[in-house]
Amino acid sequence: MANVLKHLPELEGMELGYIQGILKNMDDEQAGLFAQVYRARRKDNQMVLILALLGFFGFAGLHRFVLGQIGLGILYFFTLGLCWIGTIVDLVNYKSLAYEYNIKVAHETLSMMSYSAENFTNNNDNKTKTDEA
Amino acid sequence: MASFSCFDRQMDSIRKIQAKLPFELLCWISALVGIMFIDPHSAHHFTLCPLSLAGIDWCPGCGLGRSMKLFAIGEFKASFQMHPLGAFAWVIIPYRIFDIIKQLKTRLNYG
Repeated sequence: MANVLKHLPELEGMELGYIQGILKNMDDEQAGLFAQVYRARRKDNQMVLILALLGFFGFAGLHRFVLGQIGLGILYFFTLGLCWIGTIVDLVNYKSLAYEYNIKVAHETLSMMSYSAENFTNNNDNKTKTDEA
Repeated sequence: MASFSCFDRQMDSIRKIQAKLPFELLCWISALVGIMFIDPHSAHHFTLCPLSLAGIDWCPGCGLGRSMKLFAIGEFKASFQMHPLGAFAWVIIPYRIFDIIKQLKTRLNYG
């Protein structure tokens, strides 16, 4: 069982609990790999906050683009963040926006890791077979 | 310490409600419901818009709500003239609502 505070000490709140739930099934080596990939891909909620604040100066919706919601990003950009209302809502809500994105990233990372683990075991099987032959 | 434990429990239940019923989902649904109550042909209307309350008369998003209402009652040409993104918003916002609902079950805890 790996400890989230050892591998990803920068997490906090709901995200910390969620990632701990993922890491508790891993040994330290797997958790290290997961942490490396996850840290490179997750978005910090402070960046979402700052990009959302830019909405007050005419550049609304940049945070939606960064979080992969292109349609909403276009809608926000061309309507000044739904006349500021959307921007204000997202300023209240920026933490759950980042949390939602990071959960998706964590699931992606997990599925990639299980895929590469399968390949690894397959390769090992092949190697033992060729050794026997 | 003991006196704070009841607040802890309240905060916990608030957090659980938040996880089941996200703030953003409530906002989008109430926005769509509000839009259906707009009368697009009236000259003056009640406004929540912070820009217009601050005395700024024009913004690029003005008319989006009326445009969406016109689109919903079938006046497509008038809708496009009011704001070209009305139909686009009808695609994007319901898609976002659907997306949030889809994520509800993975939201609170892993496993």
